[in-house]
Amino acid sequence: MNGLTLDPPAAGPGPLGRALRSTPVAMALVVAVLILGFGALSPNWAFLRTSNLSTITLNVSVTMLLAVGITMILAAGELDLSIGANVVLSSVVGAKVLVALSGTPDEVRAAQYPDLALGVAAGIGAAVATGAAFGAVNGLLVTRLRVNSFIVTLGTMGIGTGTALVLTNGSNVPYVPRLLQTEFGVVRLFGVIPYPMIVVLAISGVMLYVLRHTRFGLYTLAIGSSREAAERAGIRTLPHVFRLFVLMGALAGVAAFLDLTRFATTNVGGHQTTALAAIAAVVIGGTSLFGGRATIAGSMVASLIPVILATGLVILGVQAFWQLIAVGMILIAAVAIDQRRRERLK
Amino acid sequence: MRQIERLAEMPEAGPAIEAVGIEKRFGHIRALDGASLAVRSGEVLALIGDNGAGKSTLTKIICGALAPDGGELRFWGRPTAVASIRHAQDLGVETVYQDLALAPDLSVAENMFLGREPLMRRLGGLVPALDRRAMRARAAEALAGVGISLGSVDRTVRELSGGQRQAIAVARAVMWARSAILMDEPTAALGTRQTAIVYDTIRSAADRGLAVVVISHDIPKMLSLADRIAILRQGRTVAQERAADLTLAQVVTLMLGGNGREEAA
Repeated sequence: MNGLTLDPPAAGPGPLGRALRSTPVAMALVVAVLILGFGALSPNWAFLRTSNLSTITLNVSVTMLLAVGITMILAAGELDLSIGANVVLSSVVGAKVLVALSGTPDEVRAAQYPDLALGVAAGIGAAVATGAAFGAVNGLLVTRLRVNSFIVTLGTMGIGTGTALVLTNGSNVPYVPRLLQTEFGVVRLFGVIPYPMIVVLAISGVMLYVLRHTRFGLYTLAIGSSREAAERAGIRTLPHVFRLFVLMGALAGVAAFLDLTRFATTNVGGHQTTALAAIAAVVIGGTSLFGGRATIAGSMVASLIPVILATGLVILGVQAFWQLIAVGMILIAAVAIDQRRRERLK
Repeated sequence: MRQIERLAEMPEAGPAIEAVGIEKRFGHIRALDGASLAVRSGEVLALIGDNGAGKSTLTKIICGALAPDGGELRFWGRPTAVASIRHAQDLGVETVYQDLALAPDLSVAENMFLGREPLMRRLGGLVPALDRRAMRARAAEALAGVGISLGSVDRTVRELSGGQRQAIAVARAVMWARSAILMDEPTAALGTRQTAIVYDTIRSAADRGLAVVVISHDIPKMLSLADRIAILRQGRTVAQERAADLTLAQVVTLMLGGNGREEAA
């Protein structure tokens, strides 16, 4: 009895072939080509200067962190369009708490912050808590009302932005200490790695581990691949999806505080396209929009592409707006290529 | 788990699983209206009925996927409200669903362990991690045990044929079952030869002391494979007999009702 005849194991590609087929590796190659290409084209290889590459990583940090979170959300077959609004709202609340606890109103108006340490600690806590609470609202609406997450987060995107504007009367929170920026937001470790990027890399590393090596990660992918199968395996899918939205929200809260340290101000009119940029990076990186397949490494690498393009085009004297056009085309091409490849697999 | 093993060893404990007068409504449709069955350890019970007779609903109630509206489930004679699929699994009951319930993007090994992954500890016990090596080894072993070789258990289910998927669902159930297996049309996607292997697997599972309930439309085969036959008609159990005491014609008559088709609709 030779068993349920299952066709002989396909003569699979070797390790090198497999690596080249993996989207994160392919994207890393694209990024490397872009960097070298812009380097060669830029006057005196200006693009490859440490200061330039360092600035790119600083510019990409918040998007990368959000992309890592979105990877988990998409892995479960959900979507979160509200993360930009969440970043704005969380930074407003974080900034208000920070300023209020750093000194008396008179002191902060004079740029005196006697209780800065307390203010910063409370500000971080407030930003992350606000983000997580925002995510919890999304999660509750998705899992209790059973409304599609696209719609829920489209709604909370407006609600979050509106709340931030109501809280601030539409102007940025004043008296945010510049020290945030000069002591952290734009500081670089060994003059190379921006401090915010260190935070982002550390969190991304943890998330990479969680997705690949833990039950939480496996259940996330299982839910995205087949919610029915996950439930039949005894996984409680609704609480899991709720937790994913809380996690995403907390990451948006961290992103909000990083944003605050970088610009030493809130940005109540900003982040309108942040969610779409992060989702685009995640999909370009090889995560399926429909759940079940996800790669955090791919998301991290792909989130570099828009910033590299924008910076490179500026250095070449081309309008940076072309970046938007290029990224749009890359997004469509990446998904089309990925679909072809999977159809062949079937 | 320990308790189950002890119970399973008791020879005179009566049926391993007993469903008595189960009722289930979906809206105003009565899917089950007094469905009963009993299956002993080491026995194959074929559950037969026309489309819509309630076979799948009854198995889903026994395995905890659906809650009954009435009636009683007993495991080793003890009335038990099966609260969830996990609860049924803790009772040692595994199910092969008609739709297989596999996650296509996960690997074969991941699917076989989903919900019950072995864990290991890293960094001096601080960080939990999936023990993928153990998952691979035990999944391959379980597949080989039912006569299946897949090449690699790292392949995703999406890459496999319908027959291969069905084989994985069966192997998964056999691997985990400690007291009973429920199979909803386990040979639906299979060719003749593969079907024969699944039937062998069913028989050997029963010979190992498991109680096996099989839903199938292959009545002639069930008459030879099963120890007993339960026939459902319009949500009600109309007969439970030793297979040896029934003929094909009798089964068909019982299944369709009266002397022909008029009640089948």
